[in-house]
Amino acid sequence: MKLLTCPLNGPRNIDEFQYLGPLRPDLAEGAADADWAAHLFRAENRPGPMVEWWRHTPSNTVFLAERHTLTDTILRTWLPGAKP
Amino acid sequence: MTRLPAPFGTRIDRTRPVSFRFEGRRVQGYAGDTIASALMADGQMMLSRSFKYHRPRGAFGLAGAEANTLVQVGAEPNVQADLREVAEGMEVTAQNVAGSLAFDRDAAIGLFARFLPVGFYYRTFMGPTRQAWLRFWEPRIRAKAGLGRVDTGARFPHGDKAHLHCDVLVVGGGPAGLAAASEAARGGADVILCDAGPEPGGSLCHAPQGAASAPEGVRLMTRTACTGWFADNWLSLVQGGTLWRVRARQVIFAVGGIEQPAVFRNNDLPGIISAGAVRRLIRLHGVAPGRRAVVLAGTPEGLDAAEDLAAAGIAIAALVVPRPLPGHEGRIAALGCPVIAGRIEEASGRARVARVRVAGSWVDCDCVAVSVGQAPAWQLPCQAGAVLGHDTASERFVLRLDRPGLHLAGTVNGYAGHAAVVADGRRAGAAALRALGMSAAAEPAPKDIDAALSFWHQPLDPHPGGKDFVDLDEDLQVADLINAVAEGYRELELVKRFTTVGMGPSQGRHSALATARIVAEATAREVAEVGVATARPPAMPEALGTLAGHGHTPERRTALHARHLRLGAEMKPVGAWWRPYLYGRGDREALIAAEVAAVRTGVGLLDVSTLGKLEVRGADAGEFLDRIYTMSHGTQPVGRVRYCLMLNEMGAVVDDGVALRLAPDRFYVTATTGAVARVYADMAMWNAQWGLRVDVANLTGAFAGLNVTGPGARDVLARLPGDIDFSRDAFPYLSGREGVVAGVPVRAMRIGFTGELSYELHCPASHAPALWDAVMAAGEVRPYGLEASRILRLEKGHILIGQDTDALSSPDELGMGWALSSKKPFHVGKRSVEMRRRLGVTRRLAAIAFPAGTRGLGESCLVLADGVPAGHVTSVAQSPTLGHPIALAFVPAALAAPGTGIAIRARDGSTVTGTVTGHAFLDPKNTRQEG
Amino acid sequence: MVLRLLKYGLSRGYPVTGDLPPTPDLRASYDVVIVGGGGHGLACAHHLAKYHGIRSVAVLEKGWLAGGNTARNTTTIRSNYMTMQSIAFYKEAVALYEGMSEELDFNVMFSQRGQLTLAHSEATLRAFHLRAETGRHMGIGIEVIGPDEVRARVPELNMDRGGALEIIGGLWHPDGGTARHDAVAWGYAREASRRGVEIHQRTAVTGFGVTGDRVTQVQTDRGVINAGAVLIACGGMNYDMALRAGVDLPIRCFPLQAMVTEPVKPWLHTLVSSVSLHTYLVQSSRGEVVIGGGSDPYQLYSTRSTLDLKEHLAEGAVHLFPFLRGLKVLRQWAGITDMTPDYSPIMGASPLDNLWLDCGWGTWGFKATPVAGKRMAECIATGRVPEVLAPFALSRFARFDLVNEMGATAASH
Repeated sequence: MKLLTCPLNGPRNIDEFQYLGPLRPDLAEGAADADWAAHLFRAENRPGPMVEWWRHTPSNTVFLAERHTLTDTILRTWLPGAKP
Repeated sequence: MTRLPAPFGTRIDRTRPVSFRFEGRRVQGYAGDTIASALMADGQMMLSRSFKYHRPRGAFGLAGAEANTLVQVGAEPNVQADLREVAEGMEVTAQNVAGSLAFDRDAAIGLFARFLPVGFYYRTFMGPTRQAWLRFWEPRIRAKAGLGRVDTGARFPHGDKAHLHCDVLVVGGGPAGLAAASEAARGGADVILCDAGPEPGGSLCHAPQGAASAPEGVRLMTRTACTGWFADNWLSLVQGGTLWRVRARQVIFAVGGIEQPAVFRNNDLPGIISAGAVRRLIRLHGVAPGRRAVVLAGTPEGLDAAEDLAAAGIAIAALVVPRPLPGHEGRIAALGCPVIAGRIEEASGRARVARVRVAGSWVDCDCVAVSVGQAPAWQLPCQAGAVLGHDTASERFVLRLDRPGLHLAGTVNGYAGHAAVVADGRRAGAAALRALGMSAAAEPAPKDIDAALSFWHQPLDPHPGGKDFVDLDEDLQVADLINAVAEGYRELELVKRFTTVGMGPSQGRHSALATARIVAEATAREVAEVGVATARPPAMPEALGTLAGHGHTPERRTALHARHLRLGAEMKPVGAWWRPYLYGRGDREALIAAEVAAVRTGVGLLDVSTLGKLEVRGADAGEFLDRIYTMSHGTQPVGRVRYCLMLNEMGAVVDDGVALRLAPDRFYVTATTGAVARVYADMAMWNAQWGLRVDVANLTGAFAGLNVTGPGARDVLARLPGDIDFSRDAFPYLSGREGVVAGVPVRAMRIGFTGELSYELHCPASHAPALWDAVMAAGEVRPYGLEASRILRLEKGHILIGQDTDALSSPDELGMGWALSSKKPFHVGKRSVEMRRRLGVTRRLAAIAFPAGTRGLGESCLVLADGVPAGHVTSVAQSPTLGHPIALAFVPAALAAPGTGIAIRARDGSTVTGTVTGHAFLDPKNTRQEG
Repeated sequence: MVLRLLKYGLSRGYPVTGDLPPTPDLRASYDVVIVGGGGHGLACAHHLAKYHGIRSVAVLEKGWLAGGNTARNTTTIRSNYMTMQSIAFYKEAVALYEGMSEELDFNVMFSQRGQLTLAHSEATLRAFHLRAETGRHMGIGIEVIGPDEVRARVPELNMDRGGALEIIGGLWHPDGGTARHDAVAWGYAREASRRGVEIHQRTAVTGFGVTGDRVTQVQTDRGVINAGAVLIACGGMNYDMALRAGVDLPIRCFPLQAMVTEPVKPWLHTLVSSVSLHTYLVQSSRGEVVIGGGSDPYQLYSTRSTLDLKEHLAEGAVHLFPFLRGLKVLRQWAGITDMTPDYSPIMGASPLDNLWLDCGWGTWGFKATPVAGKRMAECIATGRVPEVLAPFALSRFARFDLVNEMGATAASH
């Protein structure tokens, strides 16, 4: 089983974590409907490094991870607001 | 009997005979025998019939890598006879035979082999009608398919699962593995050494270098097969019925090689055995594989076998040497047997090899030992990222593994000579130590003069008569592969899929390399460019029972479970929870109606402990709930309860509950039973982005909940001692209090799911039975179950999230626009709700009343508009209070106005009609629940 | 039939029919370029050539023919969906499968032995009723059955569990079945290439030249091609490929794993799946039991296998059939699924005039192969999107007009 390093609890088996999806860019206030729909449904899905949200389920810690989506290599993890 | 005297047979215990049955016949072996060795000692060389042509087959490699040694043992199909040790009373039978192993009626299929070329089933079995395949041809093909037989009544013990951690896992206990483990352990590493065999040593067990023992300080696991490598050095080890999941910091693959078959006409006859297998039979099991042997020595390993045969007193009719073996001339001469330069061109025999043709002449024999060389056992390393290449100069297959934490050692790393194999093991052990940050000298790659002769590049031209098998699992001959290429299946994977080469139980261990060479030649490409099929786990077959383990289904019970049982409740699972469905036995409909009536006219009591319960604390708690839910919570006064409606970003309703403000910075929030885990996670996710000063605790398991509901609820609670004033004025609708009731600390909330005067009392779970008992004793209180609860809420027109909603339902569709605060600048889903409102609401959830006596209604019945489905029923029940059926259903927005007639297709296909009412069927002015 | 076998047996050598021609040189220009040599692309090529007279077609495949999800799926074919839009589409697919062996003169072994989906909860049963009611209206074979009939249809099922995973009913879909996945692709490839379609294996598309609203160039690792129209039908790489043309699809990729056991004498003739257990089983005509389940939990383009998923599938399989504990797993593998927000495909027009989409196939691409090929060919040949594809337009997301299949497809494939 893959290991994922929780910034708070250290490396744990990945089945202790919940995947919460890629980090998405913010949308400006007052965007048009078409832009909102595009923002809502568009996907972050490029092959390569991707920043995404994860949650360590037992400790309810939500954090960010950068992971390569072709190799499944986890490059780094950090708490929101912390410097990666 | 062909058993050899000691010292042959190091692995068997002649003082412990073991008898078992094979094909109904009693066979005696010894403790330490495998099924195959015991049978071969008994002269039984034929172990199976082949998959397609039902040709007689025996063991070839005796290393658990072939289909032809698969037998049925009792209820267990496809048991590897060459690995499974014999046990007293074992019932062993041959598989895939019509009749018996000796007289298999399906062997007639072989006579038609030339009419059944590769891929023939794609061109045939199609007519004469469209249904012919399904009705006629396929059943006949299915009847012939498969090997062993599952016994659908069989019971197998549960598997076990456990975990292991180590610095270094060495896979394979041969000379390289032993050296690697020893080196790593001496350097201070915590080492596990696993080997599939009953003792460590691998080839040492039958080699002149002598037997082996486990190095000191190493955790030795025998009879343990490593079946898979997974990311971050997570490996599966199967030992009997136990699945060990191992996390290793370093892994050394010392998995050795796989002896390859020689390809010639009738190379599949029983008695044609690999050199290594011949040696193991003689040395480990004391079995003479025959009386008169021919040895094909494509590599020096063939000479080893010849020497063992000679030592065992078995006549060597011919030593066939297809190429010079420089440096080994003395050994050949010392054997003193006829030596023929050339190759085996053909074999013949019926159920066992009887002679082989070499250099144009036939030589009589009853066994043939073949040595064309070993392929590195690439499966496990390739799963871990190794690349199998082909060295054109030496014509050997070579494995490269250049990944952190992973090492190859010994034969699998391309070494052949004993000294070099051992040295490479030490080198790998030292490399693992250095990778662990421990000290070890870097050892150079050993020199290996034996490697050059370790693989014979045998010719692979098709015999005109065929029967030159490349894949013994699937009965594929050289020409089959060439023909597949000619058909246009030029890529290795296409050849594999068209011919099924490598798809059988041995997964290409004996066929992949020959296939690569044949395809390379047929397509004029390099062997390396053709390659082998991707190695997929498992590296050895794994029983489903071992993988499944005990398979336990988690169940949750509320603190009141025993109370429900004592009251005669019928319990039902709701997700993981067990909840009372109704109380008592007898006429279920009447019982449920009585429970409903109790709530409508007296007092009912429902266990709502399964509700999600969250505590939201912190300076920004109000702001946080304002963003999470649709109503306004920032302005919610302390002591008040407010409905909570949660949307996702698409503006779809995903959960609801209530929030009691306990203090300016504390809310107690409920969520639905099924959604609380998700709500809790979503809250954490959102706040990770918002960074508000709040903390959320999930109290679902810690707190129990009781709903005391009905016109008499207030009177009942007033009778209980405590410090909460339940009077109308002191405790109005949608307010909440903390206090003590009947000695139990509670959080009390006045809400109205049933439509009646209701108090929800939440308390620490351990106090719940006491509170329940107190409430029950305080008056005429009737406990009611889930079904009554569902009817009660339906009569009131309350929705159940998940039942009356789907993944797209918006608050507007559900008629819940009232729950959307228009003053808030933001809540999750607000932007989408507004956009969807502009796009137009096309469907609405409507409350529909049906005339008394309407039959055939059911949940998911279709709403028809002009005869076309335009929605469906989400909830339906016969209302005991109103005396007619009521329902919630999605209907086209144009049909949602009260008074509109709605046509529903009943279960029996007939059409029934109901009328849209306002949202509540009962007490639309809420005088009952708010009074 | 008999004559064919005799022909093989009596001819001196092996009579080569040449199913698949070798990859030719790339020409400078084609009327239609199809990106992706899987079942969908090949089916489209066949329909273009046979029914629309468009033979200047190049199918470009980065690896070997149909080596992506066509080769990796578990071959289930069914039409028991939730919405009328989906049922109409998959019903046509099933009908085309019924005639496929004839159409292609290649036995794709379509075997309608029926699919039984098990319910362990009232909620599942409610969803089954909706599928049955809608399906019945649409004229497909489907019904909700009780535990007794479940037991009668698959007597080997373990019905006596009790508890949360007790079987309380099922959805019986007699139209459901399987086909030999590789044969489907080969049959289409053979027919298409006989009519002049060029199939280029080991030819990777690296990008597109876009001028205004049109794709003008298809760039490959073997050179640049001019194309009249382009179809993107490359399974797990659809998102990436569309993005190379500047089209941002609402697709996320997840691996989907499956495994197969050693061959045993066929005992299971029905496709059995359980939504709650995320497990389905089907026994092939080789005797192997194919076991599959749900997608992996996080986005990934790697087809690696995991031990945990294998353990999970084994647990589900022996829960339903405890006697399978002694059966051994032979091989485990994975494909890359391209999932959309509403678990439904994206078919038809793209923001570019001559770029067509056949994407978002998630876990249900194989069963759509013939109808997707037929209807996408119709799009390309006529320039119009047929009515049956209209609900699956990319533009539906901007209108919040999603296909309401969410929750209906889990573990049913």
